[in-house]
Amino acid sequence: MDTCINKIREISLELLEKGEVDKVIGFANGTIPMATSPIAVTSKQDIEKLVFNSTCGLNLANYLKQSIKDQKSKIAVIAKGCDARNIVTHIVENQVQRDQLYIIGVPCNGMIDKAKIASLFDDDITSFSEDGDTLNITSSLKEEKLNKKDYLRENCQLCLHKNPVIYDTLAADLVEEQTLDNPFPDVEKIEAMDSDTKWQHFTDLTKNCIRCYACRNACPLCYCPTCFVDESGPQWVGKGQDETDVNTFHFLRAFHCAGRCTDCGACVEACPMDINVRDFTRKLNKDSFEMFGWEAGLDLSKRPPLDVYSPDDPNDFIK
Amino acid sequence: MAGNKTKIVAFLCNWCSYGAADLAGVSRMQYPADIRVIRIPCTGRLSPKFILSALREGADGVWVSG
Amino acid sequence: MGNLLEHMGIERDRVHFSWISSAEATKFVDVVTEVSKTVRALGPNKKLVKDYN
Repeated sequence: MDTCINKIREISLELLEKGEVDKVIGFANGTIPMATSPIAVTSKQDIEKLVFNSTCGLNLANYLKQSIKDQKSKIAVIAKGCDARNIVTHIVENQVQRDQLYIIGVPCNGMIDKAKIASLFDDDITSFSEDGDTLNITSSLKEEKLNKKDYLRENCQLCLHKNPVIYDTLAADLVEEQTLDNPFPDVEKIEAMDSDTKWQHFTDLTKNCIRCYACRNACPLCYCPTCFVDESGPQWVGKGQDETDVNTFHFLRAFHCAGRCTDCGACVEACPMDINVRDFTRKLNKDSFEMFGWEAGLDLSKRPPLDVYSPDDPNDFIK
Repeated sequence: MAGNKTKIVAFLCNWCSYGAADLAGVSRMQYPADIRVIRIPCTGRLSPKFILSALREGADGVWVSG
Repeated sequence: MGNLLEHMGIERDRVHFSWISSAEATKFVDVVTEVSKTVRALGPNKKLVKDYN
């Protein structure tokens, strides 16, 4: 990853110096170890702030629309496989124009599950570094060397599109895509439950939810000017911690992502309560794959399945 | 449970099922009284929010018909 | 929609979709009867119902 960040900085510097782009959207180190936050770099002094490592779990496609000032400006963005798929979704949904973007593609070997690593330590982590596939993590009490492969996020373990689908330039060599016999083992586990157990599963899942909407804000799909949870006339969902309201929020948030979600994991990454909100969206990904053969964000020329009508759409649910 | 305590919210399209309901009415056909009809201008007016709202407000079932 | 509701544990038979022309009063009666029957069989809905008390 070290060489890759040098390449990213090199490309960014060139783009900024030539004035081809107004800014470069990338990752910077966060305020605590093992965290990164999005950054928009506009001057060459700030290039050194750009980083790329296994903790860049957020999705930068989310920040494109707000970063483009007017129709003339152009920005560069660093895109992992999932970011690139979300950029495609944004272009297809007319949120950004392709010619206003310069995409620096970064083939990705997966991001790490920070909650899983934090659970190994009793106190706060004081430093994090990585060397190839080895993660070196220290706290004031102990030091751990971990194999990155064992601590990947669940969506990265199941990722089928590690390489960016569109890019203007690549910052590293393409990586080998994995093939999975069963891309949806987690969904099938829930599908096997009876309806009361399922209900219990989701109620338990969301019982810690504090309704901070971090999952919504981190999600590149959620760009509505007014979200349904903020509407007050009619009020579709109550604002409190009531179990029904929490479940309604998660249900509708997921449903709005139907056929658009790329399973980038930004929602889970952003959740302060470590709720695996992907349990909701994954089912829709499985359905759109099985019913429409659709995976979001792979092709600029295709409309999403819920956007178009085709005479052979599945319709056996209609009497 | 007593038959007429079930509440089913029926979202009926003005031009299709609502017309059919009207025709069933003028033809004096008998059907269960569990449904509460909401007329919508077209089934396309229906948002998933409507279905969830109905369930949240205590409907036992939802029926969407175009 | 039905699939995700079912995934969350709401019984599939609570939500129905149908297509009836305005001339099909008999089909309307048939569908109402069937929908009522399946929903009655499930009993009252307790999940996802907001308790205002």
